[in-house]
Amino acid sequence: MADAPKLVNITVDGKPVAAPAGTLLIEACKTVGIEVPSFCYYPNLSLQGACRMCLVRVEKMPKLQTACTTGITEGMVVVTDSDEIRQARKSMVEMLLGNHPLDCPVCDAGGECELQDMTFSYGAAESKFIELKQHRDEQQWSPVVYFDRPRCILCYRCVRVCGEGMDVWALGVDNRGAVSTIVPNKQDHLECEECGMCIDICPVGALTSGAYRYKTRPWEMKHVGTTCTHCADGCKTTLGVRRSDTGMEIVRGDNRDKSGINGDFLCIKGRYAFDFANNEDRLTQPLIRKGGRLVPATWEEAFEFVGRRFKEVLDREGGRAIGVIGSTRTTNEENYLLQKFARVALGTNNIDHHRTADFPAFAAALHGKSGATASMRDVYNASAILLIGNDPTEEHPLLAWQIRNNVRLHNARLYVVNSRPIKLRRQAASFTQVTSETDFTEFLGGDESLASFATREGWNAVRDKLRAEQGLVIIFGSEIFGEDIQALARFAASVPGAKLLCLGDYANSRGAADMGLYPDLLPGYFPVSGAGKFHQEWKITPAAPGMNIGQMFEATKTGQLKALYVIGANPVGRLNVNPSTLKNTFVVVQDMFLTETAALADVVLPAANAYEKAGTFTNTCGDIQILKKAGEVTTAKPDFEMIVRIADAIGFDVRKLVPFGHGVHADMGQSRGAQSGEADQHAVWLEANGLEPKMSPFDPVATLDEIQRLVPGYDVSRTELLAGNDQHTSIAAMGPGTVQNPELIVPAKNNLFSSGTLGRYSRTLNSVIENKDPEPADAVPTD
Amino acid sequence: MPILKNIAAIAKGMSITFMEMFQPTTVENYPDGPGPLRGAKFQERYRGVHVLQRDENGLEKCVACFLCAANCPANCIYIEAAENTAENRISGAERYAKVYNIDYNRCIFCGYCVEACPTDAITHGHGFEIATFNATNLIYRKEQLLAARPAHLGANPVFNSAEVAGGAPAEVAPGE
Repeated sequence: MADAPKLVNITVDGKPVAAPAGTLLIEACKTVGIEVPSFCYYPNLSLQGACRMCLVRVEKMPKLQTACTTGITEGMVVVTDSDEIRQARKSMVEMLLGNHPLDCPVCDAGGECELQDMTFSYGAAESKFIELKQHRDEQQWSPVVYFDRPRCILCYRCVRVCGEGMDVWALGVDNRGAVSTIVPNKQDHLECEECGMCIDICPVGALTSGAYRYKTRPWEMKHVGTTCTHCADGCKTTLGVRRSDTGMEIVRGDNRDKSGINGDFLCIKGRYAFDFANNEDRLTQPLIRKGGRLVPATWEEAFEFVGRRFKEVLDREGGRAIGVIGSTRTTNEENYLLQKFARVALGTNNIDHHRTADFPAFAAALHGKSGATASMRDVYNASAILLIGNDPTEEHPLLAWQIRNNVRLHNARLYVVNSRPIKLRRQAASFTQVTSETDFTEFLGGDESLASFATREGWNAVRDKLRAEQGLVIIFGSEIFGEDIQALARFAASVPGAKLLCLGDYANSRGAADMGLYPDLLPGYFPVSGAGKFHQEWKITPAAPGMNIGQMFEATKTGQLKALYVIGANPVGRLNVNPSTLKNTFVVVQDMFLTETAALADVVLPAANAYEKAGTFTNTCGDIQILKKAGEVTTAKPDFEMIVRIADAIGFDVRKLVPFGHGVHADMGQSRGAQSGEADQHAVWLEANGLEPKMSPFDPVATLDEIQRLVPGYDVSRTELLAGNDQHTSIAAMGPGTVQNPELIVPAKNNLFSSGTLGRYSRTLNSVIENKDPEPADAVPTD
Repeated sequence: MPILKNIAAIAKGMSITFMEMFQPTTVENYPDGPGPLRGAKFQERYRGVHVLQRDENGLEKCVACFLCAANCPANCIYIEAAENTAENRISGAERYAKVYNIDYNRCIFCGYCVEACPTDAITHGHGFEIATFNATNLIYRKEQLLAARPAHLGANPVFNSAEVAGGAPAEVAPGE
């Protein structure tokens, strides 16, 4: 595998082509820009040879050959364009159109249909067939999958992607020859992961999506590539938006350019669960509690009220009487701004978020060890993977896809260690069922001669195999935390080239941790008590650790905490906080919906979601990606703007919060020297990086500048970031982290069809039958 | 005799003049003429205000394929599509235009939309008196563009229910 494969030389249409041995002819042609049309061929799926569109003439072969199933051989001479080939393609298209209805005007695929394109490029203007077309009624297989049988051209792409790619095998072929038809696994409907991969891969409009059905046409939408807001894998999803009465409505999600870390893949959440944004329960105006009831108010009124109440608490009792709870679904910029707001404007370290993984311990274990973290792309290319705990098929669909396809296409060895018989064991070279993942981790990182492990059958064998692996990626779920992460890191250090991956649960769980939404840690896992550049930059950082999320709710009960500022979090609903504890606390909530927490608040501010704002997300591997504004609801504001507006209402100078405007730009750091420490460090940094100062306090990019300047590991290329490419941040360069409070980690326990509080507001997620009756993992057949 | 020749030539010329004098007038007497067009006369091919046609069952021909909007050089057509259901059937195909607006502030009457229409739903009518003092009046909605409902279709229950949903006064169709 390490050696580069031998190059084979062939000639295509007179052009010399050199490609590695084993390359398919169709792919070799692509490398010199010669397109060979095909329907059934799809990269990385098994070969079918069904459509016969890719016929080419190979010298010395008696008949036309299918380029998609022919491997290249030395000295091959190929003709891809001649009268004979053109006639063959024309006949193939004519055959396909023999029964394909010409209902392009109403077909959802019209405008992005491969058959339409092929007919224009290679087809005949008229057909010799005069037979009547066989009509079959459209079938609905699930709330998201519709099948129109006459449109199907039997390329079997859907069958292969569902089986090989997804390992679901929910689609099959019934009958043979001309009467073949694609059928779902439950006679008249589908029970599957509802990922929609079959719809995405369908070259025609045979499989169409219930969510997008008959809504608009491809060219009518604006397509915005952004990052999914559901699980922590960070798939790129391209949202199709159209203008609506209230701004821009998201009508479709897909991955049409396949350029993200997810390549072809998207799960049901990335593809369909954008519809929470259009939910009718969405808040449209700020609400203020008056006489026990939440009544609508204007934005000015709400900000003024919040600012006044916060100021009263600050003046009377200081910052320690205010708590701040951040979100795992807001952007890095908003999280950074929020903790800076708490520490600088409110002067408190009482800041926390819903923790779903022990990232501080992860940072502690890998402090100073560069190259020890795996990116999402590494999972696809690693030669071996150890998966401890978690069920990626349900909780991290992209990770599961990467693992499955790595095993299938690169023969990677997968070692699964889990207390449950998770579905990925079907791909595993070794599956070890344990009663506790923690024990196994301690075994890996500990002393093998320990008596307590002597009885564990086969553990030594697994460990020996793992030690022999080159380029191992160790993935662990929230079952592993605290000291055990240290143990795992010790084991990883003993395996050459091993990398670690810690699984959090929400879209920006990692970002919230990296940006310092902790009472004891600053951005980049630097302790609040130590002196560092944050203390120098911000001047007044309180040095004592604040209250964590548990302590905050204790303090509201005792009346110690007078005000609570909650952004995009639902601690009452998700963390079982007793509502009565908030009785005497002034609670401000920024959210999209009236959640359990928002319903108890004194002020509720309607927020924009991640699809409606710009910023960056860091996925659970530490890959940072950009968010672009796709949808728009004019009645909501992004959290970034609201935090700045509240800081302003308190009377705080927002210039100290967001580095916008020119600052001491006249100086440019030159007259006193950039090293003197008296220059405007931010302006110097901007100048050095060729960036302009941002002109608005509401511009999150200004905060991104500060994050990139101050948080080590986030100094990735801005150009790559803006281009929409994922980049791996380095946790090695960050602070020392901390190993404590693992009891605060509450896994989200989301499956494929749930997504925390957000998932409750998605019509699609709630409409699929699998959501109501989740199939237990042990009911999955093993073969 | 050249003078006789000249007189003959003038008489011949004037004879046409006198002949035409007693013919009926060919100048259009718009707007004082008779009939609904008030004397205006059109070639069949004249491109006036659009008409959205109905099929022989009275259903709308438009299937909201957006090709007219895609083809429109003035970008004056706005459509929102929706799906037909058994209870609410508007067009003959799966989809219909829930909203169909043409902005006559922008329309240049080029006829490309008519060319593009795969179902012959949009056609040019002969309407031309659309001048107004208020530009917002020039955005025509689907209700203004639709062809009149054929008289013989009053008894079609499918058609009636569609009309009710479209804002027409409810009328109970026989047999329902």
